Amino acid sequence: MNKPLPDEAVQIGREVAEQFLIHEARLLDERRFRDWMALFTEDGTYWVPAAPDQQSPHSQASLFYDDRELMKTRVDRLEHPLIHVQTPPSRTVHLVSNVTIEPDTGTGEFVVSSNVLMVEYRLDRQRLFAGRQRHRLRYDDSRWLIAEKRVDLVNCDSAFEALAVPI
Amino acid sequence: MAATSLDVRSIDALVEPGRVHRRVYSDPAIFELEMERIFGRAWLFVGHTSQVPNPGDFVTMDLGREPVIFTRHRDGSLKVLQNRCAHRGPKVLNERCGRRNHFTCLYHGWTYDTDGSLVHVPVPEGCSTAFDKRRFGLAQVPRVAEYRGFVFASFATSGPSFDEHIATVRANIDDLVDRAPAGEIAFDAGVHRYVYRGNWKLQVENVLDSYHVPFSHASTVNRKGEQFARREGDATGAKVVEGNKTSGDWTRRKSYTVGRGHGWTSNTALDDGKRASAVFSEYKQVLAERVGAERAEQILTPRLHNTLVYPNASIMGLNIHVRVIKPLAVDLTEVNIYPVRLVGAPDEMNFRNIRLLNVTHAAASFVQSDDLESFTRAQAGLSSLMNDWVDISRGLGVEEPDEACGGMRALATHEMAVRAQYAAWRGYMCEASV
Repeated sequence: MNKPLPDEAVQIGREVAEQFLIHEARLLDERRFRDWMALFTEDGTYWVPAAPDQQSPHSQASLFYDDRELMKTRVDRLEHPLIHVQTPPSRTVHLVSNVTIEPDTGTGEFVVSSNVLMVEYRLDRQRLFAGRQRHRLRYDDSRWLIAEKRVDLVNCDSAFEALAVPI
Repeated sequence: MAATSLDVRSIDALVEPGRVHRRVYSDPAIFELEMERIFGRAWLFVGHTSQVPNPGDFVTMDLGREPVIFTRHRDGSLKVLQNRCAHRGPKVLNERCGRRNHFTCLYHGWTYDTDGSLVHVPVPEGCSTAFDKRRFGLAQVPRVAEYRGFVFASFATSGPSFDEHIATVRANIDDLVDRAPAGEIAFDAGVHRYVYRGNWKLQVENVLDSYHVPFSHASTVNRKGEQFARREGDATGAKVVEGNKTSGDWTRRKSYTVGRGHGWTSNTALDDGKRASAVFSEYKQVLAERVGAERAEQILTPRLHNTLVYPNASIMGLNIHVRVIKPLAVDLTEVNIYPVRLVGAPDEMNFRNIRLLNVTHAAASFVQSDDLESFTRAQAGLSSLMNDWVDISRGLGVEEPDEACGGMRALATHEMAVRAQYAAWRGYMCEASV
């Protein structure tokens, strides 16, 4: 799936990584879910485990584990006029901080770790979702794309009221 | 307690043939009485034997109002113990699950065996000479029983036996467990936990409600009226809408009630011959090798959608799982959804089941989240004093006896199953003791 590395592999700098995360957060906060989905590679996955240190998205239940196909179904639904759990819609603000970049492993992909806080407001109620997130980014056709996004919420194994929007 | 002001006549008046009074959902005194008379004595689903495979394995939970420990004793027997120190009252075990040789209270170190008996009291010279350890154990819930790994318990020392309680839905448990090539299932794939601000019965009623699907779940239905593919090997989901109407396939589905509040809904015509994928074929072959091709075909011909084992559990045949309903307050309910691993099935088949359950029944799923919105709005609407009644009359009087199940049959878009739940509810609530 990975393209062969050019002689001078593209490196990701801190500023570029941060700009990427800020851009992603903005797409989610502006409810541009289809544009958000387009940030993922064709084989990209979005995973929010339902247990701390969850080893596998396959053998264990998760809050979210979408490949592009399920992500599309999710986005179609978020855009559907009769999605009751988003009538009225949530308003969110994502804050991203504590960004670190793991060293290039020679794959041409970089892992960017950060802390995320999503504040969600709907119908007079405000909720907080805090966690550590990990983006595996791949350089493709002169842009960075998400090959894998994992969000480990501090309360991942809690009982949640309905969650409609991605974190 | 407010509950004492409720006499049998006033409870009885809350349930009429085609309607129930809104107080059954909103009155805290009714809720208190439900905890005592339903959750305090009915056979309740506790968990699955696979959660406690070894002696000392435990899972903690509340059964109604009672904090309990579901565990396996050294002799292999299953125990459901009161999770409350016999000395000064703290919960003895604080984790959701784990394994211990003994259960020791954090406060003064009183230590219990895995059958609840008190084995050690520190500084024994402080005890009076009459102190008898045998009188200070973690009480065992009096009746515990199991069927094919499904463990139930009752706080009542007498009353209907487990066999009487479960007889009519044993075949529904079989329907799920038989899908495992090894003939057993496991609860070892985590759990989906969600809460909603609504009464517990809203979830219980919804389990056998086929009427709501095209409306509550409109956002999961495409322009052709088909739901998204929810199961490995399906190209599409059930056709629930035709033009601007609920589809014929959907309206022909049946529901069945068999007494004690139990019931089930039949499957859609979704399945017949359409399910095909490499993963599904491999699974079918593995199953056929164990039970024979003819029996495998029979097992994989879906018969059931949801089965309700009243009052606190349901079993789903489509996106296979077991659901446990936990009332927290009159207007607050937690639900746990356990993915089911079919022991002996290829890993990939189990992985697909788990993965699709994420998008149907997690708090963040496409299906369940809109149900939670319905429950929350129902609870909010039921605070209105301008209309005291909730209508459950669809199909009243046209139910038919069903010889095969020994109960009654109706269209699944009717409300027979809800009425049957309230018949059971009234039975528990109006009986002062069993």
